Formats: sequence, C-alpha cells, structure tokens
Amino acid sequence: MDALSALIDGFRVALTPINLLWALAGVTLGTLVGVLPGIGPALTVALLLPVTFSLQPIEAFIMFAGIYYGGMYGGSTTAILLNTPGESASVMTAVEGHLMARAGRGGAALATAAIGSFVAGTLATAALTFSAPLMANAALRFGPAEYFALTMLAFVAVSSVLGESTLKGLASLFFGLVLGLIGIDPLTGEARMSFGIPELLDGIDVVIVAVGLFAVGESLFAASRVGGDVEDVIPLRGSLWMTREDWSRSWRPWLRGTALGFPAGVLPAGGSEIPTFLSYSLERRLAREPQRFGSGAIEGVAGPEAANNAAAAGTLVPLLTLGLPTSATAAILLAAFQQYGLQPGPLLFTRDVQLVWGLIASLYIGNMMLLVLNLPLVGLWVRLLEVPRPFLHAGILVLASVGAYSVNRSIFDVGLLYVVGGAGYLMRCWQIPLAPAVIGAILGPMAEQHLRRALAAAEGSWMVFVTRPIAATVLATAAAIALLPVVVRRWSGVDNRRRTQPSG
Amino acid sequence: MSWKQPALFLLVSALTCAGVAAQPPEDHLVIVAPAAPGGGWDQTARVLQQVIERRGLARIVEVQNVPGAAGTIGLAQFVHGGGSNTRSLLISGLVMLGATLWNDSPVSLAQATPIARLTGEYEAIAVPAASTIGDMRQLVQVFRERPEAFAWGGGSAGGSDHILAGLIAEAAGVDPRRVNYVAFSGGGEAVAALLGGHIAAGVSGYSEFAPHVRSGRLRALAISSPSRTPAINVPTIRESGLNVEMVNWRGVLGPRGLPDSDRVRLTTLVRQAAHSPEWQRILAEREWSDLYLDGGELDAFLASETTRVTRVVARLRGPARGVPVVTGQRLVPLVVLSGAALVFGALTAGWIRARGQVRPDAPAANRRAVAGVVLGLVVFVIMLQPLGFTAAAAALFVLTANAFARPSTHRRRMWTLAIAIVFAVIVDLAFTRGLDLPLPAGTWFDSSHRGPLTTWTR
Repeated sequence: MDALSALIDGFRVALTPINLLWALAGVTLGTLVGVLPGIGPALTVALLLPVTFSLQPIEAFIMFAGIYYGGMYGGSTTAILLNTPGESASVMTAVEGHLMARAGRGGAALATAAIGSFVAGTLATAALTFSAPLMANAALRFGPAEYFALTMLAFVAVSSVLGESTLKGLASLFFGLVLGLIGIDPLTGEARMSFGIPELLDGIDVVIVAVGLFAVGESLFAASRVGGDVEDVIPLRGSLWMTREDWSRSWRPWLRGTALGFPAGVLPAGGSEIPTFLSYSLERRLAREPQRFGSGAIEGVAGPEAANNAAAAGTLVPLLTLGLPTSATAAILLAAFQQYGLQPGPLLFTRDVQLVWGLIASLYIGNMMLLVLNLPLVGLWVRLLEVPRPFLHAGILVLASVGAYSVNRSIFDVGLLYVVGGAGYLMRCWQIPLAPAVIGAILGPMAEQHLRRALAAAEGSWMVFVTRPIAATVLATAAAIALLPVVVRRWSGVDNRRRTQPSG
Repeated sequence: MSWKQPALFLLVSALTCAGVAAQPPEDHLVIVAPAAPGGGWDQTARVLQQVIERRGLARIVEVQNVPGAAGTIGLAQFVHGGGSNTRSLLISGLVMLGATLWNDSPVSLAQATPIARLTGEYEAIAVPAASTIGDMRQLVQVFRERPEAFAWGGGSAGGSDHILAGLIAEAAGVDPRRVNYVAFSGGGEAVAALLGGHIAAGVSGYSEFAPHVRSGRLRALAISSPSRTPAINVPTIRESGLNVEMVNWRGVLGPRGLPDSDRVRLTTLVRQAAHSPEWQRILAEREWSDLYLDGGELDAFLASETTRVTRVVARLRGPARGVPVVTGQRLVPLVVLSGAALVFGALTAGWIRARGQVRPDAPAANRRAVAGVVLGLVVFVIMLQPLGFTAAAAALFVLTANAFARPSTHRRRMWTLAIAIVFAVIVDLAFTRGLDLPLPAGTWFDSSHRGPLTTWTR
C-alpha cells in the first residue's frame, strides 16, 4: 500500500484554510474540556454530534479528532497544578506532577507533559499511518484471558505507588477495589453492594473517585492546615522551562511511554489507563535516582503523559480499520461516521480515501497545534498557583462539583463526590496514599470481567491462563516483576529492617 | 451531505407544514432520553426533536438526558416526577423493559402511558468465518449437544442480545439457565471477541455485524425478523425451524396517569412526526426499521412483549449451570472483601497498639476550617435544585473562601462575594451556553413546569 503518497494527498485536504480552522477549533475546545474534571472528549463530541447535519464529513472529523487529542492534553494541566486529574488517564500524572508543582517546578512538569504528548501523539500517528491494518489484526488475538493477564501486569504497578508503608498502601488499594465492586455485575446483570439505591446500579464513576479523593480530599486537608504550619507551595523556582537535565531525563520516558501506550490503545479492550500505570511503574524501576520519586520526579510525568496520548491515537486503529469502537470517544466517533452513512472498516480506506487520509493528516496537524497552543500557556497556567489559597480552593471545589454533576446530571453524584472526598481527607490525615485506591477502582472491575469471561468461554477451566501462550507469558512476567524484589530482599537479608520500622 | 440538503429540507417542511396545521403546536415539549448523549436512545430523542421542531409541531423541544441503569433511572424519575406535566415524552424500549425486570426495579413501563412504538433493529446471530458451523440448524445442533460448552457473546447481561439467546434456547428445548452467555460492555468489544474467535457465536444488532459480514470475516446465520429483508438477505430464525422472532424496539411513553385527551394529543403529535418525510429519510439513512405502532395495537404489543420478556428473564436469571458459582460471580467479591477485612484489621490493630504514644510534633488540625468547608459542600447539595447552580456555587465559593481566610481578612468579605458571583456566573455560562450542558436553573424562580423533574416545588 502506498501510504506515503496517500498521506501527502491527505495533507492537501487537511491544509486548506477552512479545515485548519476546524482543527484549531477542535483542539482549543478539547483542551478546555480536558481541563474541566468530569467533562471528557467523549461527552463533548457527543454534544457536538448535531453539527454533522451542517458540516462536511471531513470538517466534522477534523474537529472531532482535535477535541479527542486536545482532551488528553488538557487533562494533565489540572492534574499537575491542582492535584485534580480531569480524566482517569491523568491520575498517574497527578502523583509526581503535583509534587513538582508544589516545589516550584510546575512549568517543567507542564512542559514535559505537553512535549511528551506531542512526541507520543506524532509517533503514534505515524504508527497508525503505516501499520494500522497489521496491528489491528494482531490485536484481535487478544481475548479475555489475555486481557486478564494484562490487568494483572498493571496491578504490579500498584507496588510502585504504595508509599512508605505497604500496609497503608494495600489499605488504599482495597478501598478502591471495594468501591469497584459496587453496582450491577456486568456478567450476570445482578446488583451487588448497591444497597437498593438505584443510582448505585451503574457503579461509582471513576471520575468521581479520582476527583473526590484528589481534589475534594486535598481541599479539606488544606483547610485543616490553615493557621498551622503554613503550606509552602512555591509557584516558581528556577527556570520556568525544562532545563537541560529535565530534557535528558524526559526523552527516554516519552519514547517508552509511547511504546506502551500505542499497542494498549490498539487492543480492543486495552484502555488508556493501563499503559499510564505501567509507564509510571517502569520509569520508577528504571530511574537512575529512584529516591526522587515521591518528591517530584519528572520521569513520572513524562512517561504516563506520553502513554495516554499514544493510547488515544492507538484507539483510532481498530476504529478506522475494523470499525470497532474501543473507547467511549471512539464509540461516539463511530456514531458520527454512521450519521454520514459511512461505515468505518477495511472498506473505508478504499472507498473514502480522501476522508481517511485527510483525517490522519489532520491528526499530525492537530498535534502540532496543541504544542503551539499549550507551550506558551505554560507560563500563564503556572500563575494559577499564585491565586490566593482561599480563592483557589473555592474554585477547585466549585469546578469539581459541577464536573461531578455533569457526569450523569445527578445531584446524587455530587453527594457521592463529597463522601469520597471525606474519605480522601481521612486518608490524607492518616498518611494513606491515594493513587492505589484509584488504580483499584479502575483495574478491579476490568480484571474481574476479563477473568470471568475467560473462565466462562473455557467452561470454568483455569487452564486457559496456562495453555494460551500470550496470556501465560504476560502472567509470568507480572509474577516475576512482583516477586523478584521480594526474593532479592530475602536473599540479601534486608527484611529484618522491616520489623524494627515504627508503625504509622 | 452538501449544504443544499438542509435547505431543501426546510423548503419541503415549510410546504408540507401548511397543509397539516390541524392541531395547534405545543409550546414547550420535553423529551427525556434515559441515557447519556450519543447512544441509541439519545439519538432517537434528538432526531425526534429535530423533526418535531422542523415540522412546527411544537415551538420548543428540549431533550433531557437522564442516564443510568439501562434507562431505569430515567423511567423512575419520569413516572414519579412527571405527574402533572402532560407535555413530556420518555424514550423507551425493549432494553429498558428487560432492565426493569432484571433489577427487580420498583418502577415498571406499565406505570407510564404508552404513546407510540417508533423504530427498531432486528438482531442477528453470527459466527466467525472460520467456524465449522454453516447455518442456524447446525448451530442449534451443536448448542443442544452441550449447551454449557457453547459460548454466546453479546452486549450487557439482561439486554436484548441476552434475551434473544434465551428465547432461542427456549425454542430449541434447552433450559435458558444453561445458556453460557458472555456479556461484553459494548457491541464493539463483543464483535472483536467474535472476530478473534474467542466466543462461538455472537448476538447483536445486525448493523454491528454488517461491515464484517460484507468483508467476509463473519458469517451471519440468522436474523430475528419475521421475514427476509431484500437488502440484508439473511435467513430468518424461523426458517431454521425455531419459532423465534424479536426486534429491539424503541418508542415513546407519556407521563403516568395521562388523561385520554392528552394521550390522543401527544399520540397525534408523534404520529405526524413519524409519518413525515424528514423522519422517513433519517430512518433510511441510519438503517432503522419503521415500526410505527400506536393506540390499541401498541397496548396489545406491549402486553404480549412484557409477558414474554418476563418469562425469559425469569428463566435466564438464577445461578448459571455452566460455570461453578464460586469461580463465577462470587470469587472476586470474596477475594476483595476478605482481603479488605484483613488489611483494615491489621491497620486497626496497629493503631490500637500505638494509641498511647501521641506524636508530640503532630500539628493540631484546624477543625473550624474543615467544618467551614464541609458546611459549604452541604449547602451546595441542598441549594442546587431549588435555588439553581449559580446561587449554590456562589455560596460554596464564599463559605470555602471564608473557611480558608484568616481572621485578619474580615474586610475582604464583600470582595469575596463579588468574586464568587462572577466565578459562578462564568462557570454557569460556560456549561449551559458554551457546552450546552444544562445545569439546574432553580425551581423556586421558575413556576412553569420545565420538566418532569421539577413538579414537587409548586
């Protein structure tokens, strides 16, 4: 297939002034909604679906793609500056990114997120350009057993965010897992732990868990410290931009994040969160100075941010080549295609050449626009930290509340957000890390569904996890990563230290 | 689509409108889509909205999304809140009927007033191209031999795909409880699993399979329609000797206890919309079948459909026989809950042991400030519906800012209030105008019945 010449034709379509304008509108809108917690690209595109009645298909898709990529950029900004992840894929960004922001390195964190997203988005789009059909077919070999193995691998990442006390880290993880159990059991349709409350039948939205624990919990905790030891948030220290050292510590995580994110996005049930967990865990293990993690390590921002953007591009592979929507946004994009009477799939590439390649070309352009749009804004965003504390926290709480409300247009969800926020406050007081809870709430239901689908398809036989080579390999890798440090520690006799460690 | 079509559209509707002005247009009509934007019910609501507005059957048509639990949350709000609002419609369908039965929901479709059945999609059964199963008869044979070993895949448990699998089992003389149905969270995931050969057969709306059937990756064995459609040309389930036919229908319901005169009025309005050329054109575009039905025929249809679905759901529920219960639905909750008990137990034990030793350097928490913020949150939740978003958000802002402020900054109170109001108004405008996401406007200020959710404040 002559992808290159088709791509050049695609650029001819995408580079017309009117289409550039649509791309700009899309990325701007996408960045804005990405910043707002609870409002993601899926909802935005869904709300904009009626424009398909008045726009040419190519114009609509260029704008929608801009919103999709923009949303991934925007989510990191609030995660870093306000410890309020806008999307579940930005939770890992908040962990190190916010620590960096508190230490006056917010500018560098935002810059590495923006450039990392650009690098990842561009490389992943290139992979989409040249290997889409091949990748999509390979991804179909992943069945429930393989996905279960993948979630187990992602669980290993939890160990890297457990914090100082393993027990407290596990408490956080199990809190998240219990939250994940709530709602209708998707495999039998029976309600579980919903206590007869219909609003709980769909489970607790991950956005509510993340925003509640991080944003509301953080604001309550900050209130408890008013008048006490003054919080030393330094808006800016040293250079606003990335230093030479930042660059040298960022570029490898960008590439590794892309390598993890793109395939995960291509997998029909991969999701954009798992690669961010894996990337964070990987960077922490590979870091030359692992002790920096926990006090603001730039690698911990660069990797996950690259991973979530690469995953976003990866999601377009099964959508365009097979017509399979594998994320909420992709499902809405599919609806948009169908409104035009277009059916994504193998035939799309031969029937609507102009549209497909125009769309792919616009992805490159959208990425470039996002970089140009976001880098100059870094300086402006960082000044957000100079807003007086009372107003800053008041603003965070209002935005978190309106975000929670708009997830389901339900006041119940706002109350739920506050309850989860209260739990987050208590966890902060008792020095229990927050990230494992969010990971548990995301991965728990995924792992259960894949496990049970795999067992159901195999008539309840656990042998599927051994006899299927991909599943077995991934599970073995997960076990090795999880157990190796324990074994090594035992051999070197360091585990005596644990007993003498003070509790709490 | 070019710009000419919308223009033509308007012209046609303007011309036909003149002839249909038998009934005065409604002033304000609310269509509740019991799902998030983007899905089938939402799209039905929005298409209906456009057609009604373009034909001038109502002046303002508002679509409200009330998502949750396969439409049952929307249904509950509709039948409980919409008592006196005779100008609202709820999008409903087979999936909602199934969900109310599946969740033992306290509300039922029968509590609302049937208005019309609008569209629907027939379901198909497909296998991967490499499968040894060549037609529906063979499938039934393989399935009958060892039902538990035959993995069906489709959408969510209790949904239309699951119900069809149950109906097929029933007709084939297999206890529906022995159906090994693997539920996926969306059509896309189920089709991917089928393409990869991870399940034996897939059940889904035909349109989900269509592109893959055309490209030769999947083989459609049967369709649930009463007769073959020329465009699709797949044998019906009936042709294989099973007495099963089903359609995943969508329709509209009116409020609970709607007076007959109002029912007639709403039915006339929906009928005019559904018989319009605009509606027909959109149906053709999206490959939705026209299944319009109203009045007595609709009541009869709903009655027989409810009986049949109730029976199948009752037989599909209960412990599945294919997979042992312990490795099935109980395993993960058991592991999670016992793990949680263990970890929290250990944590509590640690605290009890360390209780005597209070760390001298632990800073005292500022309880007043925390209480101030909590007060703000409580006030927000209480005020949101009656007083509207702007007032509630401003109150939350002021209370939070005051909790954080030191006593020395009393003089700034007016400033805080001003900033709070400006901020709340900006956020409100950004959501309601910019994103077109409605926020509560305050039912105290609004005496007209804007929606079925606001009737309790009269």
